[in-house]
Amino acid sequence: MQNRRSYFLLLLFIISLLCSCASRKVISSNYFYENEKTLTVIEQSYKALYRQNPFSLAFTDRSFNYISLEIITDSIKLIYEFEINEPRLQDTLVKYHLPAMAVTGLITQMRSIHCIWINNLDFYTNNQKKYLVLMSIRPVAIHLPFTNEKYFILTFYSQPQYFDSEGRLLAHRRARKLRKINGDVFKRINDKVCYTISGRFR
Amino acid sequence: MHSILIGLPINGKALVSYIAHSITYSLLKYCSNNKRVYYFIILCIVCCIGNNALAGEKINRDTTPLSTNKQALAFLDKQADLQASNFWPKVNPVLFLLNLKKNIEHPLSIYEGRSTNFCAYAALSYLPLHDDPVNYVKFMVQLYTDGKAVYGKEYFEPSKEVKWVAGSLTFKGELDIRPADQVWFLALADHFKGYLNLFDKHFNTGDENKMWAAVNFSKFNRMVRKLFNYQVNAVGSDLLHPGVRDMFEYLSERLKTGNVALFVNNLSLYKKNHTKLKLAVPTHFIILLNIEKVDDQIAVTYWDYGGRSLQLLNPSFLKKIIFGISHITKKITDAK
Repeated sequence: MQNRRSYFLLLLFIISLLCSCASRKVISSNYFYENEKTLTVIEQSYKALYRQNPFSLAFTDRSFNYISLEIITDSIKLIYEFEINEPRLQDTLVKYHLPAMAVTGLITQMRSIHCIWINNLDFYTNNQKKYLVLMSIRPVAIHLPFTNEKYFILTFYSQPQYFDSEGRLLAHRRARKLRKINGDVFKRINDKVCYTISGRFR
Repeated sequence: MHSILIGLPINGKALVSYIAHSITYSLLKYCSNNKRVYYFIILCIVCCIGNNALAGEKINRDTTPLSTNKQALAFLDKQADLQASNFWPKVNPVLFLLNLKKNIEHPLSIYEGRSTNFCAYAALSYLPLHDDPVNYVKFMVQLYTDGKAVYGKEYFEPSKEVKWVAGSLTFKGELDIRPADQVWFLALADHFKGYLNLFDKHFNTGDENKMWAAVNFSKFNRMVRKLFNYQVNAVGSDLLHPGVRDMFEYLSERLKTGNVALFVNNLSLYKKNHTKLKLAVPTHFIILLNIEKVDDQIAVTYWDYGGRSLQLLNPSFLKKIIFGISHITKKITDAK
Protein backbone atom coordinates (compact mmCIF):
# COMPACT_ATOMS: atom_id res chain seq x y z
CA MET A 1 0.00 0.00 0.00
CA GLN A 2 2.79 2.39 1.01
CA ASN A 3 4.76 1.47 -2.13
CA ARG A 4 1.78 2.06 -4.38
CA ARG A 5 1.26 5.48 -2.90
CA SER A 6 4.93 6.35 -3.49
CA TYR A 7 4.69 5.23 -7.13
CA PHE A 8 1.58 7.31 -7.58
CA LEU A 9 3.22 10.41 -6.12
CA LEU A 10 6.30 9.86 -8.27
CA LEU A 11 4.16 9.52 -11.38
CA LEU A 12 2.28 12.70 -10.50
CA PHE A 13 5.55 14.55 -10.00
CA ILE A 14 6.90 13.41 -13.40
CA ILE A 15 3.68 14.44 -15.19
CA SER A 16 3.74 17.90 -13.58
CA LEU A 17 7.41 18.25 -14.49
CA LEU A 18 6.72 17.34 -18.12
CA CYS A 19 3.78 19.74 -18.29
CA SER A 20 5.80 22.61 -16.90
CA CYS A 21 8.76 22.00 -19.20
CA ALA A 22 6.90 21.27 -22.43
CA SER A 23 6.67 24.07 -24.94
CA ARG A 24 3.68 24.65 -27.17
CA LYS A 25 4.01 23.72 -30.80
CA VAL A 26 4.80 27.10 -32.22
CA ILE A 27 3.72 27.61 -35.76
CA SER A 28 5.60 30.20 -37.75
CA SER A 29 6.03 31.45 -41.29
CA ASN A 30 6.03 27.82 -42.48
CA TYR A 31 2.35 27.72 -41.68
CA PHE A 32 1.74 30.51 -44.15
CA TYR A 33 3.58 28.72 -46.98
CA GLU A 34 1.84 25.41 -46.20
CA ASN A 35 -1.58 27.10 -46.39
CA GLU A 36 -0.76 30.01 -48.69
CA LYS A 37 -3.36 29.18 -51.32
CA THR A 38 -6.25 28.92 -48.85
CA LEU A 39 -5.12 31.97 -46.88
CA THR A 40 -4.91 34.08 -50.03
CA VAL A 41 -8.35 32.96 -51.19
CA ILE A 42 -9.80 33.83 -47.77
CA GLU A 43 -8.14 37.25 -47.74
CA GLN A 44 -9.25 38.11 -51.29
CA SER A 45 -12.84 36.95 -50.85
CA TYR A 46 -13.14 38.73 -47.47
CA LYS A 47 -11.89 41.98 -48.99
CA ALA A 48 -14.37 41.71 -51.83
CA LEU A 49 -17.28 40.96 -49.50
CA TYR A 50 -16.23 43.71 -47.08
CA ARG A 51 -16.49 46.23 -49.89
CA GLN A 52 -20.15 45.28 -50.32
CA ASN A 53 -20.95 45.61 -46.62
CA PRO A 54 -18.43 45.89 -43.76
CA PHE A 55 -18.44 42.89 -41.42
CA SER A 56 -16.17 40.61 -39.42
CA LEU A 57 -16.36 36.90 -38.53
CA ALA A 58 -15.16 35.05 -35.44
CA PHE A 59 -15.52 31.48 -34.25
CA THR A 60 -16.63 31.59 -30.64
CA ASP A 61 -16.07 28.00 -29.53
CA ARG A 62 -13.21 25.54 -29.57
CA SER A 63 -14.98 23.09 -31.86
CA PHE A 64 -15.57 25.73 -34.59
CA ASN A 65 -19.36 25.26 -34.60
CA TYR A 66 -20.48 28.74 -33.53
CA ILE A 67 -19.78 31.95 -35.37
CA SER A 68 -20.05 35.56 -34.29
CA LEU A 69 -21.03 37.87 -37.12
CA GLU A 70 -20.47 41.60 -36.66
CA ILE A 71 -22.18 43.79 -39.24
CA ILE A 72 -20.93 47.36 -39.25
CA THR A 73 -23.34 50.03 -40.45
CA ASP A 74 -22.87 53.82 -40.40
CA SER A 75 -24.66 54.19 -37.09
CA ILE A 76 -24.33 50.87 -35.25
CA LYS A 77 -22.42 47.61 -35.03
CA LEU A 78 -24.74 44.58 -34.90
CA ILE A 79 -23.29 41.55 -33.13
CA TYR A 80 -24.94 38.17 -33.73
CA GLU A 81 -23.98 34.65 -32.79
CA PHE A 82 -25.14 31.62 -34.77
CA GLU A 83 -24.50 27.93 -35.11
CA ILE A 84 -22.85 27.64 -38.54
CA ASN A 85 -25.68 25.55 -40.04
CA GLU A 86 -28.47 27.63 -38.51
CA PRO A 87 -30.99 29.04 -41.05
CA ARG A 88 -31.02 32.36 -39.11
CA LEU A 89 -27.46 32.98 -40.31
CA GLN A 90 -28.57 32.91 -43.94
CA ASP A 91 -31.58 35.12 -43.18
CA THR A 92 -29.41 37.69 -41.44
CA LEU A 93 -26.89 37.78 -44.29
CA VAL A 94 -29.69 38.33 -46.80
CA LYS A 95 -31.22 41.03 -44.59
CA TYR A 96 -27.97 43.00 -44.62
CA HIS A 97 -27.36 42.51 -48.34
CA LEU A 98 -24.44 40.16 -47.95
CA PRO A 99 -24.19 37.25 -50.46
CA ALA A 100 -25.10 34.29 -48.25
CA MET A 101 -23.38 31.68 -50.44
CA ALA A 102 -20.08 33.56 -50.53
CA VAL A 103 -20.07 34.26 -46.79
CA THR A 104 -20.87 30.65 -45.86
CA GLY A 105 -18.10 29.58 -48.27
CA LEU A 106 -15.74 31.92 -46.43
CA ILE A 107 -16.82 30.44 -43.08
CA THR A 108 -16.12 26.91 -44.37
CA GLN A 109 -12.67 27.91 -45.58
CA MET A 110 -11.89 29.64 -42.27
CA ARG A 111 -12.96 26.51 -40.42
CA SER A 112 -10.74 24.31 -42.61
CA ILE A 113 -7.57 26.13 -41.52
CA HIS A 114 -8.77 26.98 -37.97
CA CYS A 115 -8.94 30.69 -38.63
CA ILE A 116 -10.93 32.01 -35.69
CA TRP A 117 -11.17 35.69 -36.59
CA ILE A 118 -11.02 37.81 -39.69
CA ASN A 119 -11.34 41.57 -39.61
CA ASN A 120 -10.48 44.73 -41.50
CA LEU A 121 -8.36 46.91 -39.22
CA ASP A 122 -7.56 50.58 -39.65
CA PHE A 123 -4.08 51.96 -39.06
CA TYR A 124 -2.46 55.36 -39.60
CA THR A 125 0.69 56.39 -41.45
CA ASN A 126 1.47 60.14 -41.63
CA ASN A 127 -2.09 60.86 -40.49
CA GLN A 128 -3.45 58.85 -43.42
CA LYS A 129 -5.96 56.11 -42.70
CA LYS A 130 -5.14 52.73 -44.19
CA TYR A 131 -6.53 49.24 -43.80
CA LEU A 132 -5.11 45.78 -43.31
CA VAL A 133 -6.78 42.38 -43.13
CA LEU A 134 -6.07 40.60 -39.87
CA MET A 135 -6.51 36.83 -39.45
CA SER A 136 -6.12 34.92 -36.20
CA ILE A 137 -5.34 31.22 -36.40
CA ARG A 138 -5.87 28.95 -33.43
CA PRO A 139 -3.30 26.15 -33.49
CA VAL A 140 -4.87 22.80 -32.72
CA ALA A 141 -1.73 21.13 -31.43
CA ILE A 142 -2.09 19.44 -28.05
CA HIS A 143 -3.22 22.03 -25.57
CA LEU A 144 -1.66 21.63 -22.18
CA PRO A 145 -3.70 22.54 -19.17
CA PHE A 146 -2.80 25.73 -17.28
CA THR A 147 -0.94 27.22 -20.26
CA ASN A 148 -2.07 30.34 -22.06
CA GLU A 149 -3.62 29.96 -25.46
CA LYS A 150 -1.36 31.30 -28.24
CA TYR A 151 -2.63 32.49 -31.59
CA PHE A 152 -0.88 32.81 -34.93
CA ILE A 153 -1.76 36.26 -36.27
CA LEU A 154 -1.37 37.20 -39.92
CA THR A 155 -1.69 40.71 -41.34
CA PHE A 156 -2.20 41.39 -45.02
CA TYR A 157 -1.39 44.87 -46.39
CA SER A 158 -2.36 46.43 -49.70
CA GLN A 159 1.06 48.09 -50.09
CA PRO A 160 4.59 46.70 -49.54
CA GLN A 161 5.81 47.44 -46.00
CA TYR A 162 9.21 48.34 -44.54
CA PHE A 163 11.25 46.04 -42.30
CA ASP A 164 14.46 46.25 -40.30
CA SER A 165 17.45 43.92 -40.74
CA GLU A 166 15.82 41.39 -38.39
CA GLY A 167 12.67 41.33 -40.53
CA ARG A 168 10.55 43.27 -38.03
CA LEU A 169 7.77 45.51 -39.33
CA LEU A 170 8.62 49.23 -39.24
CA ALA A 171 6.29 52.19 -38.84
CA HIS A 172 7.80 54.17 -41.76
CA ARG A 173 10.55 53.87 -44.31
CA ARG A 174 12.69 56.52 -42.59
CA ALA A 175 11.78 55.97 -38.96
CA ARG A 176 13.39 52.96 -37.33
CA LYS A 177 10.42 52.68 -34.99
CA LEU A 178 8.72 49.27 -34.92
CA ARG A 179 5.05 49.23 -35.84
CA LYS A 180 2.94 47.46 -33.26
CA ILE A 181 -0.55 46.09 -33.84
CA ASN A 182 -2.55 45.41 -30.67
CA GLY A 183 0.73 45.79 -28.81
CA ASP A 184 2.55 43.07 -30.78
CA VAL A 185 5.63 43.35 -32.98
CA PHE A 186 5.19 41.67 -36.38
CA LYS A 187 7.70 39.83 -38.56
CA ARG A 188 8.03 39.63 -42.31
CA ILE A 189 6.66 36.76 -44.38
CA ASN A 190 6.77 38.70 -47.63
CA ASP A 191 6.52 42.41 -48.52
CA LYS A 192 2.79 42.51 -47.86
CA VAL A 193 2.26 39.79 -45.25
CA CYS A 194 3.47 39.72 -41.64
CA TYR A 195 2.95 37.40 -38.69
CA THR A 196 3.23 37.25 -34.94
CA ILE A 197 2.45 34.80 -32.14
CA SER A 198 0.17 36.43 -29.58
CA GLY A 199 -1.81 35.63 -26.48
CA ARG A 200 -4.69 37.71 -27.84
CA PHE A 201 -6.60 36.87 -30.96
CA ARG A 202 -8.30 40.28 -31.39
CA MET B 1 -19.48 94.72 6.76
CA HIS B 2 -22.50 96.16 5.06
CA SER B 3 -20.64 96.38 1.81
CA ILE B 4 -19.62 92.71 2.11
CA LEU B 5 -23.17 91.67 2.86
CA ILE B 6 -24.61 93.78 0.11
CA GLY B 7 -22.53 91.76 -2.33
CA LEU B 8 -24.31 88.55 -1.31
CA PRO B 9 -27.49 87.37 -2.97
CA ILE B 10 -30.42 88.57 -0.81
CA ASN B 11 -33.01 85.80 -0.95
CA GLY B 12 -34.54 83.36 1.53
CA LYS B 13 -32.11 82.22 4.16
CA ALA B 14 -29.47 84.68 3.03
CA LEU B 15 -31.85 87.51 3.94
CA VAL B 16 -32.17 86.15 7.50
CA SER B 17 -28.41 86.02 7.78
CA TYR B 18 -28.09 89.56 6.46
CA ILE B 19 -30.54 90.90 9.08
CA ALA B 20 -28.72 89.06 11.90
CA HIS B 21 -25.40 90.51 10.80
CA SER B 22 -26.86 94.02 10.59
CA ILE B 23 -28.32 93.93 14.14
CA THR B 24 -25.05 92.67 15.60
CA TYR B 25 -23.08 95.37 13.80
CA SER B 26 -25.38 98.10 15.20
CA LEU B 27 -25.08 96.75 18.76
CA LEU B 28 -21.28 96.69 18.56
CA LYS B 29 -21.23 100.26 17.40
CA TYR B 30 -23.00 101.60 20.54
CA CYS B 31 -21.60 99.39 23.34
CA SER B 32 -18.68 99.64 25.84
CA ASN B 33 -15.47 97.52 25.59
CA ASN B 34 -16.64 94.70 27.92
CA LYS B 35 -19.90 94.50 26.25
CA ARG B 36 -18.08 94.46 22.95
CA VAL B 37 -16.40 91.16 23.90
CA TYR B 38 -19.80 89.62 24.66
CA TYR B 39 -21.20 90.98 21.52
CA PHE B 40 -18.17 89.72 19.59
CA ILE B 41 -19.01 86.19 20.79
CA ILE B 42 -22.62 86.73 19.82
CA LEU B 43 -21.41 87.98 16.48
CA CYS B 44 -19.46 84.76 15.95
CA ILE B 45 -22.53 82.68 16.79
CA VAL B 46 -24.71 84.77 14.54
CA CYS B 47 -22.14 84.49 11.75
CA CYS B 48 -22.19 80.74 12.14
CA ILE B 49 -25.96 80.73 11.85
CA GLY B 50 -25.71 83.01 8.85
CA ASN B 51 -23.09 80.81 7.25
CA ASN B 52 -25.20 77.73 7.85
CA ALA B 53 -28.08 79.48 6.19
CA LEU B 54 -25.84 80.34 3.26
CA ALA B 55 -24.50 76.77 3.20
CA GLY B 56 -28.09 75.59 2.92
CA GLU B 57 -28.43 77.93 -0.01
CA LYS B 58 -25.24 76.43 -1.47
CA ILE B 59 -26.75 72.93 -1.34
CA ASN B 60 -29.76 74.26 -3.20
CA ARG B 61 -27.37 75.55 -5.84
CA ASP B 62 -25.88 72.04 -6.19
CA THR B 63 -27.12 71.48 -9.72
CA THR B 64 -25.49 69.51 -12.53
CA PRO B 65 -24.28 72.10 -15.07
CA LEU B 66 -25.92 71.80 -18.47
CA SER B 67 -25.21 73.38 -21.84
CA THR B 68 -25.77 72.71 -25.53
CA ASN B 69 -23.67 71.63 -28.50
CA LYS B 70 -24.46 74.92 -30.17
CA GLN B 71 -22.95 76.91 -27.29
CA ALA B 72 -19.86 74.71 -27.30
CA LEU B 73 -19.37 75.12 -31.05
CA ALA B 74 -19.80 78.89 -30.70
CA PHE B 75 -17.05 78.89 -28.05
CA LEU B 76 -14.77 76.82 -30.30
CA ASP B 77 -15.37 79.18 -33.22
CA LYS B 78 -13.93 81.99 -31.10
CA GLN B 79 -10.70 80.00 -30.57
CA ALA B 80 -9.70 80.11 -34.25
CA ASP B 81 -6.43 81.91 -33.43
CA LEU B 82 -5.36 79.38 -30.80
CA GLN B 83 -1.56 79.38 -30.65
CA ALA B 84 0.69 76.35 -30.27
CA SER B 85 1.13 75.60 -26.58
CA ASN B 86 4.54 75.34 -24.96
CA PHE B 87 3.03 72.98 -22.41
CA TRP B 88 1.93 70.42 -25.02
CA PRO B 89 4.74 70.46 -27.60
CA LYS B 90 3.39 67.57 -29.70
CA VAL B 91 -0.18 68.82 -29.95
CA ASN B 92 -0.97 70.87 -33.04
CA PRO B 93 -3.53 73.61 -32.18
CA VAL B 94 -5.44 73.20 -35.46
CA LEU B 95 -5.78 69.43 -35.05
CA PHE B 96 -6.60 69.98 -31.37
CA LEU B 97 -9.56 72.24 -32.20
CA LEU B 98 -10.70 69.97 -35.03
CA ASN B 99 -10.72 67.05 -32.62
CA LEU B 100 -12.77 69.00 -30.06
CA LYS B 101 -15.21 70.07 -32.76
CA LYS B 102 -15.61 66.48 -33.92
CA ASN B 103 -16.30 65.37 -30.32
CA ILE B 104 -19.04 67.98 -30.00
CA GLU B 105 -20.62 67.25 -33.39
CA HIS B 106 -20.32 63.46 -33.05
CA PRO B 107 -20.13 62.75 -29.32
CA LEU B 108 -20.35 58.99 -29.82
CA SER B 109 -17.19 58.98 -31.90
CA ILE B 110 -14.78 59.51 -29.00
CA TYR B 111 -12.47 56.49 -29.10
CA GLU B 112 -10.24 55.14 -26.36
CA GLY B 113 -7.73 53.63 -28.77
CA ARG B 114 -6.65 50.08 -29.43
CA SER B 115 -5.10 48.11 -26.53
CA THR B 116 -5.09 51.07 -24.11
CA ASN B 117 -6.62 51.18 -20.63
CA PHE B 118 -8.58 54.33 -21.47
CA CYS B 119 -12.06 52.74 -21.74
CA ALA B 120 -13.31 54.22 -18.45
CA TYR B 121 -12.19 57.74 -19.40
CA ALA B 122 -13.86 57.39 -22.80
CA ALA B 123 -17.05 56.06 -21.19
CA LEU B 124 -17.34 58.95 -18.74
CA SER B 125 -16.75 61.41 -21.60
CA TYR B 126 -20.19 60.40 -22.86
CA LEU B 127 -21.69 62.51 -20.04
CA PRO B 128 -20.16 65.99 -20.65
CA LEU B 129 -20.30 65.54 -24.41
CA HIS B 130 -24.07 65.04 -24.20
CA ASP B 131 -25.06 67.19 -21.22
CA ASP B 132 -22.46 69.92 -20.77
CA PRO B 133 -20.14 70.27 -23.75
CA VAL B 134 -19.35 73.95 -22.94
CA ASN B 135 -17.55 73.15 -19.68
CA TYR B 136 -15.71 70.33 -21.42
CA VAL B 137 -14.37 72.50 -24.27
CA LYS B 138 -13.56 75.42 -21.94
CA PHE B 139 -11.56 73.09 -19.72
CA MET B 140 -9.73 71.56 -22.69
CA VAL B 141 -8.80 74.93 -24.19
CA GLN B 142 -7.59 76.27 -20.84
CA LEU B 143 -5.61 73.10 -20.16
CA TYR B 144 -4.01 73.45 -23.58
CA THR B 145 -3.14 77.14 -23.28
CA ASP B 146 -2.16 77.31 -19.58
CA GLY B 147 -1.05 73.74 -18.91
CA LYS B 148 -3.43 73.66 -15.94
CA ALA B 149 -7.18 74.04 -15.43
CA VAL B 150 -10.06 73.33 -13.08
CA TYR B 151 -12.87 70.92 -13.96
CA GLY B 152 -15.72 70.63 -11.46
CA LYS B 153 -14.08 70.16 -8.08
CA GLU B 154 -10.72 69.09 -9.48
CA TYR B 155 -7.58 71.06 -10.24
CA PHE B 156 -5.53 69.55 -13.07
CA GLU B 157 -1.86 70.13 -13.68
CA PRO B 158 -0.61 67.09 -15.60
CA SER B 159 2.95 65.88 -15.18
CA LYS B 160 5.72 66.89 -17.61
CA GLU B 161 5.93 63.35 -18.97
CA VAL B 162 2.24 63.34 -19.84
CA LYS B 163 2.49 66.75 -21.52
CA TRP B 164 5.49 65.57 -23.48
CA VAL B 165 3.87 62.39 -24.81
CA ALA B 166 0.34 63.70 -25.55
CA GLY B 167 -0.18 64.03 -29.29
CA SER B 168 2.39 61.37 -30.11
CA LEU B 169 0.63 58.15 -29.09
CA THR B 170 0.71 55.78 -32.06
CA PHE B 171 -0.62 52.37 -33.15
CA LYS B 172 -3.89 52.99 -31.30
CA GLY B 173 -6.15 53.22 -34.33
CA GLU B 174 -8.08 56.46 -34.69
CA LEU B 175 -6.71 57.78 -31.39
CA ASP B 176 -3.42 58.35 -33.31
CA ILE B 177 -5.02 61.30 -35.10
CA ARG B 178 -7.05 62.68 -32.15
CA PRO B 179 -4.61 64.80 -30.12
CA ALA B 180 -7.26 66.41 -27.90
CA ASP B 181 -8.52 62.99 -26.84
CA GLN B 182 -4.96 61.97 -26.02
CA VAL B 183 -4.62 65.10 -23.82
CA TRP B 184 -7.98 64.39 -22.12
CA PHE B 185 -7.38 60.69 -21.41
CA LEU B 186 -3.79 61.19 -20.27
CA ALA B 187 -4.75 64.12 -18.02
CA LEU B 188 -7.53 62.09 -16.38
CA ALA B 189 -5.34 59.02 -15.88
CA ASP B 190 -2.55 61.21 -14.49
CA HIS B 191 -4.85 63.01 -12.05
CA PHE B 192 -7.18 60.34 -10.64
CA LYS B 193 -5.66 57.43 -8.76
CA GLY B 194 -7.23 54.30 -7.31
CA TYR B 195 -5.84 51.21 -5.65
CA LEU B 196 -5.09 49.62 -9.04
CA ASN B 197 -2.61 52.44 -9.70
CA LEU B 198 -0.85 52.00 -6.37
CA PHE B 199 2.29 50.46 -7.86
CA ASP B 200 2.40 52.52 -11.04
CA LYS B 201 1.57 56.12 -10.23
CA HIS B 202 4.18 57.79 -12.40
CA PHE B 203 3.78 57.89 -16.18
CA ASN B 204 6.41 56.20 -18.34
CA THR B 205 6.29 55.54 -22.09
CA GLY B 206 3.74 52.84 -22.86
CA ASP B 207 1.91 53.22 -19.54
CA GLU B 208 -1.33 54.04 -21.34
CA ASN B 209 -1.62 50.26 -21.90
CA LYS B 210 -0.71 49.34 -18.35
CA MET B 211 -1.91 49.60 -14.75
CA TRP B 212 -1.03 53.32 -14.65
CA ALA B 213 -4.24 53.99 -16.59
CA ALA B 214 -6.41 51.28 -15.01
CA VAL B 215 -9.72 52.23 -13.42
CA ASN B 216 -11.56 50.36 -10.69
CA PHE B 217 -15.30 50.73 -10.13
CA SER B 218 -15.21 53.23 -7.25
CA LYS B 219 -12.63 55.39 -9.06
CA PHE B 220 -14.97 55.58 -12.05
CA ASN B 221 -17.87 56.73 -9.88
CA ARG B 222 -15.66 59.22 -8.03
CA MET B 223 -14.53 60.76 -11.31
CA VAL B 224 -18.12 61.21 -12.50
CA ARG B 225 -19.19 62.82 -9.22
CA LYS B 226 -16.23 65.18 -8.88
CA LEU B 227 -15.90 66.28 -12.48
CA PHE B 228 -19.49 66.66 -13.62
CA ASN B 229 -21.46 66.89 -10.34
CA TYR B 230 -23.91 64.08 -11.10
CA GLN B 231 -25.76 61.99 -8.55
CA VAL B 232 -24.23 58.51 -8.86
CA ASN B 233 -25.90 55.50 -7.28
CA ALA B 234 -23.71 52.46 -7.78
CA VAL B 235 -24.20 48.76 -7.09
CA GLY B 236 -21.58 46.06 -7.55
CA SER B 237 -17.85 45.91 -7.09
CA ASP B 238 -14.52 45.00 -8.69
CA LEU B 239 -14.84 41.33 -7.81
CA LEU B 240 -18.42 40.46 -6.89
CA HIS B 241 -21.57 40.74 -8.96
CA PRO B 242 -24.27 43.17 -7.82
CA GLY B 243 -27.10 41.52 -5.90
CA VAL B 244 -29.71 42.19 -8.55
CA ARG B 245 -32.32 39.49 -9.13
CA ASP B 246 -33.91 40.64 -12.36
CA MET B 247 -31.17 42.38 -14.31
CA PHE B 248 -33.45 43.33 -17.20
CA GLU B 249 -36.03 45.01 -14.94
CA TYR B 250 -33.34 46.75 -12.90
CA LEU B 251 -31.52 48.19 -15.90
CA SER B 252 -34.74 49.17 -17.73
CA GLU B 253 -35.95 51.11 -14.70
CA ARG B 254 -32.63 52.92 -14.25
CA LEU B 255 -32.45 53.86 -17.93
CA LYS B 256 -35.78 55.69 -17.67
CA THR B 257 -34.38 58.19 -15.19
CA GLY B 258 -30.74 58.67 -16.14
CA ASN B 259 -27.57 57.33 -17.71
CA VAL B 260 -26.32 53.86 -16.90
CA ALA B 261 -22.66 52.84 -17.02
CA LEU B 262 -21.79 49.15 -16.74
CA PHE B 263 -18.55 47.60 -15.53
CA VAL B 264 -18.33 44.34 -17.44
CA ASN B 265 -16.12 41.37 -18.09
CA ASN B 266 -14.81 42.19 -21.52
CA LEU B 267 -13.27 38.76 -22.01
CA SER B 268 -16.72 37.22 -21.92
CA LEU B 269 -18.34 39.99 -23.95
CA TYR B 270 -15.87 39.81 -26.85
CA LYS B 271 -13.51 36.90 -26.43
CA LYS B 272 -15.25 33.64 -26.35
CA ASN B 273 -14.93 30.03 -25.35
CA HIS B 274 -11.48 29.31 -26.70
CA THR B 275 -9.89 28.69 -23.34
CA LYS B 276 -11.12 26.66 -20.42
CA LEU B 277 -9.71 29.02 -17.83
CA LYS B 278 -10.97 32.57 -17.95
CA LEU B 279 -10.55 35.25 -15.32
CA ALA B 280 -14.01 36.26 -14.13
CA VAL B 281 -13.18 39.88 -13.39
CA PRO B 282 -14.50 43.09 -14.91
CA THR B 283 -12.15 44.93 -17.24
CA HIS B 284 -14.26 47.23 -19.38
CA PHE B 285 -16.68 50.16 -18.99
CA ILE B 286 -19.60 50.64 -21.37
CA ILE B 287 -22.54 53.04 -21.48
CA LEU B 288 -25.90 51.29 -21.69
CA LEU B 289 -28.13 53.00 -24.26
CA ASN B 290 -31.10 50.68 -24.58
CA ILE B 291 -32.31 47.33 -23.36
CA GLU B 292 -35.29 45.29 -24.55
CA LYS B 293 -36.58 41.75 -24.58
CA VAL B 294 -36.54 39.87 -27.89
CA ASP B 295 -38.21 36.48 -27.41
CA ASP B 296 -36.20 34.76 -24.67
CA GLN B 297 -33.15 36.96 -25.19
CA ILE B 298 -32.20 40.49 -24.24
CA ALA B 299 -31.14 43.00 -26.89
CA VAL B 300 -28.56 45.33 -25.37
CA THR B 301 -27.50 48.51 -27.14
CA TYR B 302 -24.39 50.07 -25.67
CA TRP B 303 -21.63 52.54 -26.42
CA ASP B 304 -17.97 51.58 -26.46
CA TYR B 305 -14.96 51.85 -28.82
CA GLY B 306 -16.27 54.98 -30.53
CA GLY B 307 -19.69 53.72 -31.54
CA ARG B 308 -22.94 51.97 -30.72
CA SER B 309 -23.24 48.19 -30.65
CA LEU B 310 -26.34 46.01 -30.48
CA GLN B 311 -25.93 42.53 -29.11
CA LEU B 312 -28.39 39.76 -28.27
CA LEU B 313 -27.55 38.10 -24.96
CA ASN B 314 -29.34 35.54 -22.88
CA PRO B 315 -30.41 36.77 -19.40
CA SER B 316 -28.04 34.54 -17.44
CA PHE B 317 -25.06 35.58 -19.57
CA LEU B 318 -25.94 39.25 -19.11
CA LYS B 319 -26.02 38.76 -15.35
CA LYS B 320 -22.72 36.89 -15.50
CA ILE B 321 -20.77 39.63 -17.26
CA ILE B 322 -22.01 42.61 -15.21
CA PHE B 323 -20.00 43.45 -12.09
CA GLY B 324 -20.92 47.09 -11.57
CA ILE B 325 -23.90 49.29 -12.41
CA SER B 326 -23.69 53.08 -12.03
CA HIS B 327 -26.97 54.95 -12.23
CA ILE B 328 -26.01 58.51 -13.12
CA THR B 329 -28.66 61.21 -12.75
CA LYS B 330 -28.62 64.98 -13.03
CA LYS B 331 -28.92 66.99 -9.83
CA ILE B 332 -31.79 69.35 -10.47
CA THR B 333 -32.39 70.80 -6.97
CA ASP B 334 -32.10 74.41 -8.06
CA ALA B 335 -32.65 74.02 -11.77
CA LYS B 336 -34.96 76.50 -13.46
